[in-house]
Amino acid sequence: MRPYQEQFEKLYQVHYPKVMRLCMGYVKGDADLAKDLVQEVFIKVWKNLEMFRNESAIGTWIYRITVNTCLVQLRNKRIGLDTASMDQIGESEPVEAYDYQQHLRQLYSCIDSLDPTAKGIILLELEGVPQKEIAAVMGLSHEAVRVRIHRIKNKLTKCVQDEL
Amino acid sequence: MNFEDLKSQWKKQPKAEAPENGAKSIAKKINTMRKKQLITNMVLGATLLILIGFFFYIMAYRDQTVLWGLVTMMGALLGRIVIEIYSVRRLGKLNIGLDARQFKNRMTAYYQKRKGIHYILTPLILLAYCGGFVRLLPAFKAHLSGGFYTYIVVSSVVLIVFFSIFIGYHVRKELAILKTLKET
Repeated sequence: MRPYQEQFEKLYQVHYPKVMRLCMGYVKGDADLAKDLVQEVFIKVWKNLEMFRNESAIGTWIYRITVNTCLVQLRNKRIGLDTASMDQIGESEPVEAYDYQQHLRQLYSCIDSLDPTAKGIILLELEGVPQKEIAAVMGLSHEAVRVRIHRIKNKLTKCVQDEL
Repeated sequence: MNFEDLKSQWKKQPKAEAPENGAKSIAKKINTMRKKQLITNMVLGATLLILIGFFFYIMAYRDQTVLWGLVTMMGALLGRIVIEIYSVRRLGKLNIGLDARQFKNRMTAYYQKRKGIHYILTPLILLAYCGGFVRLLPAFKAHLSGGFYTYIVVSSVVLIVFFSIFIGYHVRKELAILKTLKET
């Protein structure tokens, strides 16, 4: 296997889960649309890998590509709510699983009501990405991210509470 | 319920594993895209060569009306192709690895420029193409049978209407992207 392909394969295996989850957040949990977006993201990773200059961590760079790809592609995709991808959760505990699905569905729906920048910030926060890295991905100052996260957290929590 | 509960719900989602041959299928898809691009370039090149060949074959340069009619139509077509190739390359060269704010600004600038193309250049190109075609009509009428002449007129009008709708659809799509970018 050529070194370039080998490097790409490693990146793909390591970063696929987090890219997929981020994309799911952008498309209201629609797994099929998210998979299309993930493919688009990794096509761009492949095409631009040679230009990556280690100015940031590779994970940050991949997050940037994901956020930018989702921003551009969303206008072209029809977004619905895919429950099939959530139905697999907790099959052995039907009642709890049902509640969990409802909460998750609501969470996706509330995330979808945010503007794309807020969506990007909160999805990265939900993923547990440090605020400094979120700032580097979104092109905002650390302070601006801190303030915005605080506001979005409140808005999101209120939205989920109101809808339940 | 507080944000930490939402975060824990988010984290409880099953981990999406990378498909086994996912990386290979992406490499394959990129190869297919490259081949398609090559085929498109070859088709465009061949079309241009055929048009130039046709131009000399019918000795269009001997009749001033036919000459300018054809030159205007070919020029309009070529102009449109050059603009599209330039735009596609410019979009492809945008650094997707920039932070979201810089990327959004560059995308907005790109689509703003495209808006200028759509509102000024595209109508001019379409007008030039139609003008060239109208200029050719007397020559068509003089050299072609009545039935074939009618066929050419009707099919060209249908084709121009079809392309106008097609271009209009894509312009609307790009304007919607620009609107989203500006609202963000």
